[in-house]
Amino acid sequence: MKTRGCKLIVMLIIMVILAGCNPNSNEQSSGNGDSKSRNTLVISSVREPDTIDVHKTTWVDNSTANIYDTLLKRDLEGNIIPGLAEKYDISNDGKIWTFYLDENVKFHSGEPLTAEAVKKSFERFLQYSAVKFLAGPVDKIEADGQKLMVYFTEPFAPFASGLTTSYLAPMDPKSLDEYGEDFGKHPGASGIFKFGERIRGSSITYMKNDDYNWGPPFVDNKGAPGFDKYEFRFITDDDTRVLEFKKGTTQIMTNVPPNYIKDLETTEGVKIDSMLEQGITYLGFNNKKPMFQDKRVRQAIALGIDRDPLVEFALEGYAKPLFGPLPQSIPGYSEKVEGEAKQKYSLNVEKAKSLLEEAGWKDTNGDGIIEKDGKPFSFELWLSDEPVMQRIAQILQGQLKEIGILVNISVQEPASISANTPKGLHDALLNMYGWSDPDILYMLFGKGSSLRMHYENEELHNLLTKARQTMNKEERMEIYEQAQQFLVEESPWVPLFVRENVTAYRDINGFKQNPYSQSIIFNDITSK
Amino acid sequence: MSKYILNRTFSMVVTLIGVSILVFLMMHLIPGDPVTYILGDFASEEAIVEMKSTLGLDQPLFIQYIDYIKNVLQGDLGTSYITGLTVIEEITARFPITVQLALYSLIIGSVVGILMGILAAVKQNTIFDQLAMVISLIGISAPGFWIALFLIWIFSYQFSVFPISGYQGFYSLILPSITLGLGSAGNIARMTRSSMLEVIKQDFMRTAQAKGLAMIPMIFKHALQNAMIPVITLIGLQFGFLLAGAVVIETVFALPGLGSFSIEAITKRDLPTVQGLVLFMAFLFIITNMIVDLVYSLVDPRIKY
Repeated sequence: MKTRGCKLIVMLIIMVILAGCNPNSNEQSSGNGDSKSRNTLVISSVREPDTIDVHKTTWVDNSTANIYDTLLKRDLEGNIIPGLAEKYDISNDGKIWTFYLDENVKFHSGEPLTAEAVKKSFERFLQYSAVKFLAGPVDKIEADGQKLMVYFTEPFAPFASGLTTSYLAPMDPKSLDEYGEDFGKHPGASGIFKFGERIRGSSITYMKNDDYNWGPPFVDNKGAPGFDKYEFRFITDDDTRVLEFKKGTTQIMTNVPPNYIKDLETTEGVKIDSMLEQGITYLGFNNKKPMFQDKRVRQAIALGIDRDPLVEFALEGYAKPLFGPLPQSIPGYSEKVEGEAKQKYSLNVEKAKSLLEEAGWKDTNGDGIIEKDGKPFSFELWLSDEPVMQRIAQILQGQLKEIGILVNISVQEPASISANTPKGLHDALLNMYGWSDPDILYMLFGKGSSLRMHYENEELHNLLTKARQTMNKEERMEIYEQAQQFLVEESPWVPLFVRENVTAYRDINGFKQNPYSQSIIFNDITSK
Repeated sequence: MSKYILNRTFSMVVTLIGVSILVFLMMHLIPGDPVTYILGDFASEEAIVEMKSTLGLDQPLFIQYIDYIKNVLQGDLGTSYITGLTVIEEITARFPITVQLALYSLIIGSVVGILMGILAAVKQNTIFDQLAMVISLIGISAPGFWIALFLIWIFSYQFSVFPISGYQGFYSLILPSITLGLGSAGNIARMTRSSMLEVIKQDFMRTAQAKGLAMIPMIFKHALQNAMIPVITLIGLQFGFLLAGAVVIETVFALPGLGSFSIEAITKRDLPTVQGLVLFMAFLFIITNMIVDLVYSLVDPRIKY
């Protein structure tokens, strides 16, 4: 019994080891080392997408977007230009959008791009997507050959922006028919990449789309991209990701941690490219809380913050201080508003103190903290566990103490923040938003949608609604300028900075990024 | 023996029910909501209500639990809210990596730990003893991620012996297993040493020595066999800790195992996945310890069930 038992255990151990040595396991290779010999471009990324089915996620990035192609695109100046739709027009009342689709485009299955196929995708998007608000108040969709008509109950200008995102990109109808709910496991569309293989928790591999010849005007190579395979590897640990890149086993590293940038800049053969993110980091007040209902208090806090140390010490300089509501990377950004806001809210401790005093807050007991009706001014600041956010919170805590406000830092899990801020359980929040259209202001401050800052104002709501319904670009941007001026004056939040999204690359030519779609342009990248 | 196994199986079922209730309650009571994650930052109140109803999260907790257990008994651990795959599919894809990692670490930890423990006990109060104990202390106290980065830097980055990260079969699990195994080796070495010291001082060992038995057979055949019971218990428990320790190691080495996936599922409040994973891990832990208890009788004939 004893000997047989021992033998059994030894056999089991050997079997497990042999299973590990199975040569088939190596087929799941993540591409280390031999990426060049296979003509594979390896890109490392932090966050793994939950699914490649863009109708079932709220997260799209380089690792999922390039399998899709969009009806409209943003060029390198941020203008909306034709994509799969060769042209489009909008009826005078803004309620009917007509798209004329490129008849040369083919899906990955070989099926031609037709209005019927796009309609099918749109309808699926409207049925499943958590971001269906991107399409606005769609009434019905009609398809006629290569002509697609979308009818709205009300005009909705941000629809054009939505069409530049992969969420509204047409999906391959054959894949949809064949796989239905499992489309995410076998995705197909009309982008420059074709789906290859996904190893959950590790990587997604795409093949180049050999049929692709409808590249946008802002790329040099209109045809199939330069590598045979594109492998996105997901490496959460910063140190590991950096070592893989420095070793040369990955050629592109997205989201370079700020504390590694200087090291990589001095590494031979490595180039760094950065672009401003389409979003900002801000200190948002819960405007329903009594302490933040006085505009002077909100303005005083904005005056008590010095953005330079935040950028310098928390982000190693890889961010741009911001005073207005929109960054340069989002259409609608206004230099005029930014200038006015900077002038109004550049650090001024004395003015901040006098505004607080006007509002009735004064340090009566000499402890350095201001009081009103015997209650000290202190608030809890919620933030995620991201190290950079924690450093920013600590700096803000020190700065606001200078004007007599006590900040208690409360680090929370993102899921907890998402669930509890709409309930108004927080005092203030250190947060960031990301979007490609100025309509983000409606989502942050529109009536019924101010879930983080709980700030509602009839005048602002009317402006933001009008902007949504104005089809003329110039007129629309003018309205956003007014809305931004309103926000600067009312200060329901304190915009802090816009981060730089830093990418490192090596051993390749033709690397470019589009700041208005926050994406790497793979069309022109070739091996060195 | 069969009665013993039956008893243990019964207590395993009771334990698993307890675990399922605990994890179910914990996931529902901690702040955070899977629906807000699924729908994103700008979800409307109506969309949230609709999604809760679709997922059955608007039902009373008791009803949700009963529904969950009914499905578990039918072999259905649910479907991940986030990835859309069944929890069983996720476990099947990732478990082989985690179990290989834990098993290799256990082998490394046991072999290195037992040998160091024997050496330390036999050469008590010598430089060998002190060296073995210092090494084991480093193994126990040095953080796993630090050892991992240190090993990656030397063996992968400088000398290209192993891949830096990712899963490419047995070869890519060597460094992670050494990292994870070092902590276990430290614990096992200390336990082996103290257990061996107790046995070595006993009368039968002195008799064996007086009879002129050679050192090696005396240590391995007489002393070690008698000193192994507490060591085996510790090894059994270590397997569970190694599965837990895999969380950090899998993240550093970018291994697509269950450890790193559990963290992701908890962060995203993916209730079916977390519940399924915890239940599965608990099952594994209990089974391992049951096997360890059965192994006692192989090592020590005095123990019978």
